[in-house]
Amino acid sequence: MALLGGSTSFVRYAVEGELPDNFFEFAAKQIAANSFRDIDDTADEYSIGWVSVQSMFDSEFAYASHAVADYIVLSLRVDERKVSPAVLKKFTLKEEERIKKERQLPRLNRQQRVDIKESTRQLLVRRAAPVPAVYDLCWNLADNTLLFFSTNGKAQELFERFFKDTFGLSIRMQVPFLAAGHLMDPEDADMLAELNQTVFI
Amino acid sequence: MDLVDIIAEKRFLGQEFLSWLWFKSEERGGAVFLPDLGDIQVGFEKHMLLEYGEGESHERIICRGLQAELQEARTGLLMGKKLEQARIRLARGDYEWQFTLTATLFEFRNVRLPKTLGAGEEESGPEAYEGRILERVGMIEEISRTVNELFRLFLQIRTGPEWEKELKMIRSWVRESAVH
Repeated sequence: MALLGGSTSFVRYAVEGELPDNFFEFAAKQIAANSFRDIDDTADEYSIGWVSVQSMFDSEFAYASHAVADYIVLSLRVDERKVSPAVLKKFTLKEEERIKKERQLPRLNRQQRVDIKESTRQLLVRRAAPVPAVYDLCWNLADNTLLFFSTNGKAQELFERFFKDTFGLSIRMQVPFLAAGHLMDPEDADMLAELNQTVFI
Repeated sequence: MDLVDIIAEKRFLGQEFLSWLWFKSEERGGAVFLPDLGDIQVGFEKHMLLEYGEGESHERIICRGLQAELQEARTGLLMGKKLEQARIRLARGDYEWQFTLTATLFEFRNVRLPKTLGAGEEESGPEAYEGRILERVGMIEEISRTVNELFRLFLQIRTGPEWEKELKMIRSWVRESAVH
């Protein structure tokens, strides 16, 4: 489901605004500054950054460049240590019972329960292996359009924010009404806003 | 207008386009003429999703089957349901793409690209990698551009004087195809 192999899914974006001068130099600097940092050997909960489309382990683009002809091709990698709500609930209750027994308490107050839940969550998160997700993108610099290879709404939101953080440029998904604005002559584009739904029966 | 409002207020545009494209694909037995590209082949198949109503009365129906058996979807159109997703086969020259297009967001899902010579597949190194990327991106952009051209044709008709005539033909196609 990605840029390099098999069947694929994507949405289309338009990049808004002018590209900076010496764009490839600028892009290389920004991509390096926002490349993926591994958290396997740390206690960090979350990491997001750019890697090569060829390998999720290549965050220095040593084996494949992000610049291909008039395109920038990248993968957005997101690693997150996750704890399922059911697991958190189970270990929180277990810890509550242990503390009640240890301190001979009939019940715990609200603040104690909140603290136990948070410390349990932190403990479980540290134990969990980071779950990776990788999403490809292809940015056509000639017409400033971009393909993002995921139809997952959450991934799209993450991507839109991280793209803006990296390059300082906003992107807009090309839903039909916005795509229409780019396809029509400027003098006809006003008619789009006036269009109302038609009944086909 | 922000994106959420645009999607809510203007989603009919993509749904009308998809229904129009289905009509257009059957008007001349699968051939659709595009001013800059000539005739291309467009076929609707296997999978369709139709919607009806808003909010609590919102309904969805999924229709699957071979092209000739999309009777339930045709009846859905006659009942006023809107086409929200369709599996489309599109051929241009020697190449054929298959993909599912969603009407509200213009998502391209499960896109199957044409079989090509497979530039650089057997080789490794930067040049082979670039070759593979450029070949794939070329095929993906080609389908994106072709859908844009179909959409442009729809917009020209939809906002032009010939829309009334086109709408009459669409309505009679909806009635006739539902009863066959």
